[in-house]
Amino acid sequence: MEKEFKNSNIKSRISWAFAIFLAVVATMAAVLPFIFMVFNSFKGKFEMLTKGVFAPPEKLNLTNYEEVLGGGFVKYFGNSVFVLCVSLLLVLFISACAAYPLARFKFRMNGFIYAVIVACMAIPIHITLIPVFQMTKSLKIYDTIWAMIGPNVAFALPISVFILTSFMMGIPKEIEESAEIDGCNKYRMFFTMILPLAKPGLSTLAIYNGVNIWNEFSFAYTLTQSPKNRTLPLAVWDFQGQYSMNTPMIMAVLTLTVLPMIILFIFAQDKLVKGMTAGAVKG
Amino acid sequence: MNSQANTLGKRRQRSTNIAAFVFLLPVFLILTIFIFYPIVDSFMISAYRWNGIAAEKVFVGLSNWGKLLSDREFWFAFRNNILIMVLSIVIQIPIGLAEATFIEFAGKKATVCKVLWFIPMLMSSVAIGFLFNYALAANGGMVSAVSKLFGGGNVDLLGNKNTALITVILVIAWQFIPFYMVYCMAAYTNVSEDVYEASLIDGATKGQYFWQIALPLLTPSIKSAAILSMVGSLKYFDLIYVMTGGGPGTATELMATYMYKNAFVQFNMGYGSAVAAGMFILITVLSLFTMRMINGKKEEA
Amino acid sequence: MKKRAKQIIALGLSVVMCLSATACGSGAADAPQGSGESGQASADSSAGSADAAETPAADSSSDSGDKVITFWNVGTEGADKETYEMAIRQFQEKTQSGYTIENIPTQNDKYKEKLVIAMSSGECPDMYTTWSGGPMNEYIDSGYAQPLDDLYEKYGMKERFMEGALEQASYNGKIYAVPVKNISIAGIYYNKDLFQKCGVSVPTTVSELEAACDTFLANGIIPFTLANGPKWTGSMYFQCLAARKGGLEPFQKAASGDGSFEDESFVYAGQKIQEWVNKGYFPEGFNSMSEDDGQAKAFFYTEEAAMYLTGSWNTAAFKTDSEDAGNDFYSKVDWFSFPAVDDSSADASILCGTMGDQFVSFNCTDEKLDAAFEFATYLSSDETIDYMVGASLIPPVTGVEDKITDPVSKSIIDAANKASAVQLWYDQYLNPTVANAHLDGNQEVFGLTMTPEDANKKMQEAQAEYLSGK
Repeated sequence: MEKEFKNSNIKSRISWAFAIFLAVVATMAAVLPFIFMVFNSFKGKFEMLTKGVFAPPEKLNLTNYEEVLGGGFVKYFGNSVFVLCVSLLLVLFISACAAYPLARFKFRMNGFIYAVIVACMAIPIHITLIPVFQMTKSLKIYDTIWAMIGPNVAFALPISVFILTSFMMGIPKEIEESAEIDGCNKYRMFFTMILPLAKPGLSTLAIYNGVNIWNEFSFAYTLTQSPKNRTLPLAVWDFQGQYSMNTPMIMAVLTLTVLPMIILFIFAQDKLVKGMTAGAVKG
Repeated sequence: MNSQANTLGKRRQRSTNIAAFVFLLPVFLILTIFIFYPIVDSFMISAYRWNGIAAEKVFVGLSNWGKLLSDREFWFAFRNNILIMVLSIVIQIPIGLAEATFIEFAGKKATVCKVLWFIPMLMSSVAIGFLFNYALAANGGMVSAVSKLFGGGNVDLLGNKNTALITVILVIAWQFIPFYMVYCMAAYTNVSEDVYEASLIDGATKGQYFWQIALPLLTPSIKSAAILSMVGSLKYFDLIYVMTGGGPGTATELMATYMYKNAFVQFNMGYGSAVAAGMFILITVLSLFTMRMINGKKEEA
Repeated sequence: MKKRAKQIIALGLSVVMCLSATACGSGAADAPQGSGESGQASADSSAGSADAAETPAADSSSDSGDKVITFWNVGTEGADKETYEMAIRQFQEKTQSGYTIENIPTQNDKYKEKLVIAMSSGECPDMYTTWSGGPMNEYIDSGYAQPLDDLYEKYGMKERFMEGALEQASYNGKIYAVPVKNISIAGIYYNKDLFQKCGVSVPTTVSELEAACDTFLANGIIPFTLANGPKWTGSMYFQCLAARKGGLEPFQKAASGDGSFEDESFVYAGQKIQEWVNKGYFPEGFNSMSEDDGQAKAFFYTEEAAMYLTGSWNTAAFKTDSEDAGNDFYSKVDWFSFPAVDDSSADASILCGTMGDQFVSFNCTDEKLDAAFEFATYLSSDETIDYMVGASLIPPVTGVEDKITDPVSKSIIDAANKASAVQLWYDQYLNPTVANAHLDGNQEVFGLTMTPEDANKKMQEAQAEYLSGK
């Protein structure tokens, strides 16, 4: 008995050591490209081309950042934040609304509607550019930051509904049944029980959609034209010409673009953990 | 008594139906505008020969579709998509699951890992494409450096027809593994703490807990992850466009890049629309078929 | 409670959005159908193009009745951007027309797509730049450009530009565009220091060039730097070799359908390329390297490579990069035109490239067109030209050679002045589908995964299909 326990202890130690080794490898693989991005953002263009991309910068040269921040970056940043907040709020709420009946109700069209929403994930984005452009024009919101919200929401919806539905299916049935006996109708149940329980799923979606909307490029350049209405992914244009690009400058732009997301994620993942434990305790 | 229960049941079903309608209304309005309409539109345009900009379109019936069926380049692109799909599912989901499991077992200590592992997901395709183009460069790239360390020569992964696609698939995996990590982390929350503790009390090792208890409970989530990965890979565009533009030759051409070239670069909007509509049909059929298969099994069990 | 309020706001917003979008969505839905019917009605599309030219332009100008001229271009950074902004300032100061220019720079990669999307909805900007060739003709055929001969006459601009530049701005005997910016021709930049060190002089024939390359290889120097990821970079080798072997005729015949891309000069070009690849004239892994990221320039800057066959726009980049780094690299650079093929009778003064790089087209009429053209004249005013020359650009205007002091630019303008003809880049001259077949095939030729004969055959097939569908 004693021996067996020891054995398993050694075994578990070895497997932990192995797991930690793999974790270190994964961490390096994930982080190294990021580090090189930051490295190169400090270099001059000639330095990058002659010394190579993987050499550390000669000195901590902040002129790239000064130039980026001195340009339109702050305006783009504000636009991006606005578009992100409005779009994300809409996506989360609408997809939660849709996932709830698909996951928890029994009605005739359920399977069909679910299939239609899955089919919506299959649409290639580029073929929608022209119809969406025409719509935006006729709505008179072309070249405003409002133009990007509709497509951002629409193309995040199918996948969000899909994920949330499968997540909500995992919530135990008993909760709903006891609430129903208490005379709670479906609408109140959605707000008081389902939404809070779906928090982990919603935070996953918030992260996933948040990143996508933050980096969204196709609609941003189709639906805006003047620099004052551009979002961050278009900021690299200021340093990318017809035949060449100022790569270190672009790396500075990209670093500044990703930084708020990383900071946000550090906070959000904390929330994510809380959401998870809350779900687990109630479940 | 019986009939009363019946009408009660009917009334309840009716209120359920109404609630379902109310909850589904917003999503349907938005999807109609932004997705159903463009799809119908592209089916209609696929019946014309049209350069995409002129006022005149020439009606050609189904000839674009005939061309599509016998278009070797399109089916080659489809084959590439299928390869990406299979390898994405095989590579991304297990690694994402492994990372999530590690974090689940290690608890608070692994918070750093969680943040660091998520970074690839946050980087834009432009940045990823650029950095990997350099990292994979035959001359002075990282892979070549490693190969030299072991006495080999320079390695040109992206320039070689046989290795370009698999190389890009690995970069795509690098980008999307964090998503499946977060996805699996959320799925773990549905495995309740009690089950975990009870199994440990029963003397199960962590390995046993994972294989015998957690994994079966995670299976539904993993299945939907597979569907997501499938649809995503079949309409993939971004990194391929940035890194190889479909080259060398057409070795990494995908359905989406092929469609894009036809519609926006080569003034073949009619044919490009046929490609898009064909893509839509293929992806929908494949994913619904897979879903049916997966769910069928679930019901049996 | 706060959360509830948020949700209610969100719901309200979404409903409003949906309702307004459906209202207008149904309107937009009718538009493509309508235009489809009109397309069926006009059976002969080429004859219809002249009439069609008037309609879209008239539509969009009545759309924006205000006195703003929108101008789309790819001048997002550096000298390109400054050139356009400078011309706008001059116009705004001096014009009596009452119009103002709205400058919309878009990054090059997505520019063509943005144009297609706008045009497909009949929302073409008033002025936009193109690279002439196939796409420009496509825009003209679709009615999005106006003939400018009268305005050229009125503003006395015909004498201002080099003949070759006006030729590339013309289609079916009429001038449709105003050339701007740079003479962009293919040629070989070389490192004078390395040439001297290895005792190599500027080659005038291909066999001399090959001898020079062999010398460089023996000295551990890469003969040519090349990043063929974007495919058009390697295409320059093909075009130069084919033009030196057979002159312009084989290409013109093949493009018009009288000849074929399987002609011997194209076979020669492909074979030479593979011979050079096999001899190791290019850096390892060149076929996937990215030109935009500067991977080809890197070998040139580190003086690992002796020569760089590329477009003449790079003079400006070499100069500014070297200045930014504060070194003397630029003083080592010079340029020569692609050498002649031994025992070929083809005229070796022919150049490949464009005499303007960018061409401004106009999609407006009457008074607005006049004002827009007036603005375009400032793109080649003396002030603008001086700026461009200072930035190492060579605008395609007559007499520009007298202003140039930069030695590299001087070599280029000398070649341009001597050139008996200019072969427009294949990928701009040809229909985009054919151009793509050429670029894909040529990249495989460089990669040794396709024979030159097969690549040319593919290109010929694409061309034949295009001509048959015309």
